[in-house]
Amino acid sequence: MASFIIKRFFYGFMVVVGVITLVFLLFTILPGDPARMMLGQRADQQAVDAIHKELGLDKPLVIQYFNHLNNLSFLSVHSTNEKKVTYLTKESEYVHAKRLVSFGETSLILKVPFFGKSYISKREVSVILAGAFPNTFLLATLSILVAMIIGITVGSVTAVINAAWFNRIVLVFTAFGMALPSFFAAIIMAWIFAFLLSDYTGLNMFGSLYEVDDYGNGEVLQLKNLILPVITLGIRPLAVITELTRTSLIEVFSQDYIRTARAKGLSGFRVVVVHALRNALNPVITSVSSWYASSLAGAVFIEYIFDWKGIGVVIVEALENYDLPVVMGSVLLIAIILIIINIFVDIVYGLLDPRVSVT
Amino acid sequence: MANTPAPLLHVEKLSVGFRNGHSLFQAVNEVSFDVYNGQTLGIVGESGSGKSVTSLALMRLLSDRNSIISSETIQLNGNPISALTDREMRFVRGKQIAMIFQEPMTSLNPVFRCGNQIIEAILAHENIGRKAAKIRVMELFSQVKLPRPDDIFLSYPHQLSGGQKQRVMIAMALSCSPLLLIADEPTTALDVTVQKEILQLLKEIQKNTGMGMIFITHDLGVVADIADQTAVMHHGSIVEYGMVSNVLNNPQHPYTKGLMACRPSSTIRLSRLPVVGDFLENKWPDGNGQMMKELGLHDKDRITRHENMFKETPILKVKNLQTWFPIKHGLFSQVQSHVKAVDDVSFEVYPGETLGLVGESGCGKTTLGRSILRLVEPTSGKVFFEDTDVQTLNKKSLRDYRKEAQIVFQDPYSSLNPGMTIGHAIMEPLQVHGLLPDNRMRKEKVYELLSQVGLEASHFQRYPHEFSGGQRQRICIARALAVQPKLLVCDESVSALDVSVQAQVLNLLNHLKQTYHFTYIFISHDLSVVRYMSDRVMVMKDGKIEELAEADQLYNHPKSAYTQKLIEAIPGKNFTLNK
Repeated sequence: MASFIIKRFFYGFMVVVGVITLVFLLFTILPGDPARMMLGQRADQQAVDAIHKELGLDKPLVIQYFNHLNNLSFLSVHSTNEKKVTYLTKESEYVHAKRLVSFGETSLILKVPFFGKSYISKREVSVILAGAFPNTFLLATLSILVAMIIGITVGSVTAVINAAWFNRIVLVFTAFGMALPSFFAAIIMAWIFAFLLSDYTGLNMFGSLYEVDDYGNGEVLQLKNLILPVITLGIRPLAVITELTRTSLIEVFSQDYIRTARAKGLSGFRVVVVHALRNALNPVITSVSSWYASSLAGAVFIEYIFDWKGIGVVIVEALENYDLPVVMGSVLLIAIILIIINIFVDIVYGLLDPRVSVT
Repeated sequence: MANTPAPLLHVEKLSVGFRNGHSLFQAVNEVSFDVYNGQTLGIVGESGSGKSVTSLALMRLLSDRNSIISSETIQLNGNPISALTDREMRFVRGKQIAMIFQEPMTSLNPVFRCGNQIIEAILAHENIGRKAAKIRVMELFSQVKLPRPDDIFLSYPHQLSGGQKQRVMIAMALSCSPLLLIADEPTTALDVTVQKEILQLLKEIQKNTGMGMIFITHDLGVVADIADQTAVMHHGSIVEYGMVSNVLNNPQHPYTKGLMACRPSSTIRLSRLPVVGDFLENKWPDGNGQMMKELGLHDKDRITRHENMFKETPILKVKNLQTWFPIKHGLFSQVQSHVKAVDDVSFEVYPGETLGLVGESGCGKTTLGRSILRLVEPTSGKVFFEDTDVQTLNKKSLRDYRKEAQIVFQDPYSSLNPGMTIGHAIMEPLQVHGLLPDNRMRKEKVYELLSQVGLEASHFQRYPHEFSGGQRQRICIARALAVQPKLLVCDESVSALDVSVQAQVLNLLNHLKQTYHFTYIFISHDLSVVRYMSDRVMVMKDGKIEELAEADQLYNHPKSAYTQKLIEAIPGKNFTLNK
């Protein structure tokens, strides 16, 4: 088990390095100039050059790449000599930096990875991400939980009933849920529940977790703003989970060990919930994990429409503005999340089914 | 059965029908039988005869959505159980009637520890604590003679061998001291030696507890070994019912006669196995003597044929062949050790010979067969086919070799592509090897092949699912024959088939051999079948050759202790066809 986790984290680390390199290359090869984006198309060459110099974009690509890695690593090399500086980021910009050893002007520093600063807002990328990620995390986690609980329950019930007419009704709903585009669903949900029925529901058309209220109390926690985005984001996974649970359970019902369980004289409930469900959950877990991972990476449409200040919105805005450090930081964060979820899911597989060896 | 006590289970006119759309399929047709305390009723029949459905109907384990069960009476210990509600029936299941199933591999829930699965059964019926239940489980484990009960208690099913799993199943069935045990083909999936142990165990437990038992099997030999009464089922009806010795020594119904005759016998050699059809048509009205006369073979012919055969140069020479599979572990998947599936094996096969290859599961017989064809790459050693070193063949000449040496696999259900018509499946090797100038002629050839294996030209456009197991195996044989090979490896090719169908396929293989002068390597776990088919028999154990000798020689005078043990374990060995 330990060897398995170490192995997976090692592979994960290699993937992260690959992602860093790929994103870096993409943004240097792609046309477009951050300085122009910041200053507008009519800016004069001097101003553009000044910004290039400030951002280190006038340096050769190799130096830029090295600096990029140097910033992201926990350990980094740094020179105190301002004149022959090849390390573009100043030591003072690092957070919690601690000098380990020095060789003359060069020193080795232990620090928190530095994602750089936004070209646009000049805020640190880590601060921007730390502000947006909890919102996305809350939204994604709640919606997948809701989808799982309802989906597995409804899927199990339909599998047990397994009557043709009932299956057809469920199939209509699940097909509808799967086919419904999320941007459309979001608008419809907001329109129905927060506009037409707002007198009864008391919900807002949009709003984030913390809102500035109208009475000058500063930021106030608005839990009710979660309801609509959570439901909307949950619709598609709910449909998928319901259908997967249903088909997978029906398949498991025909297995020999279910017959054994019934021949033991167990109650129908115990046969379904204890013996069948655990065996049926594998495909469900696979789909849950991929849905969870993708909504953690930002459910762009839903965050946008409900004005939910999450990672999705951050990425879209950064892409619009050619805000390279923010994009790189977000992509890196998403890659790490996906890797962690995958490792976690593999462990869950092992816990659910002892035949899956996690070695 | 004169002067008998009241039966433990009394079944009268039990019928089971399955609804399929608007039509009704009668799976079991008014069967009646009794089971007595301390005795065993053996229900024999082939697949589809309704024997399993009968037992499932007794336990009411069939879905009531598509099945219709009717009966005049079903009494357990004098109490009618057919009128019980589903809830009441739950307390009969497991408590009064317990059941064990055919596939120990799939009958235990893979995600729960063995011990907990049995505790669950105990707690469902008895008002005792978990601790007391665990003590009971330990007792049961020692009763079914499981080694290291503590480890088995904590094991998951996949960590145990087939025999051990079946013992766990038996322990589970016995956990609430049932009055009646229904065993549905409990030993079919197991090796003969394990089968023998399990049968002995069941007998012993029955002797100690006095429970009644229904033993369902397709194997008359097993019935001869274990049952007191027997019921022979055919197409949903009991065609013959009585004491085992009566039924087997003096079968009345032609189906029973056929079923008995189509098993390869351990005492006499026949030129062709009689099939059930022969008896249904009443081909030999004067009894078995007439059949022997017609089909009997003389040992002398066999000996002269062997003398001539072994003078020729071998068609296949295997020298020190090794096929090892690495076991990988650790952070960088280092090779820790090897599974020696085939370990230093040397032998020769002569043209026109059938070399039988027997051994228990995991002995390496399948890997050996595949290594010879290079479907698995051997680790070291040499295989010479007509003096060509098979190991050194490149991709192109390997393809030519595949034309010469073909294989027929075990499972006819999974070795045919379900999306391809059988005509195309047979035609494909002809196209791949570029035999015959065009597709029209190839099609002609396929028609010819189909008729050779007893199928019709009109089957060309049909898909595999439209055929029965025996027919599918014929299709696989036709596919192997299409390229006109010299060597045919039959890897457990009849193991998945019913005995009567098995006889037909064996006859077909022998017929084709005579026509085309094939050489066979016949791999099987069934010693009677191998003996019937083979000129020489090779016994394998743990990847090594245990013994290699002429078939009759090997059976009558086995040299190695392991071979003796295998032959000893053949069920119904002491019971022979009445002449």
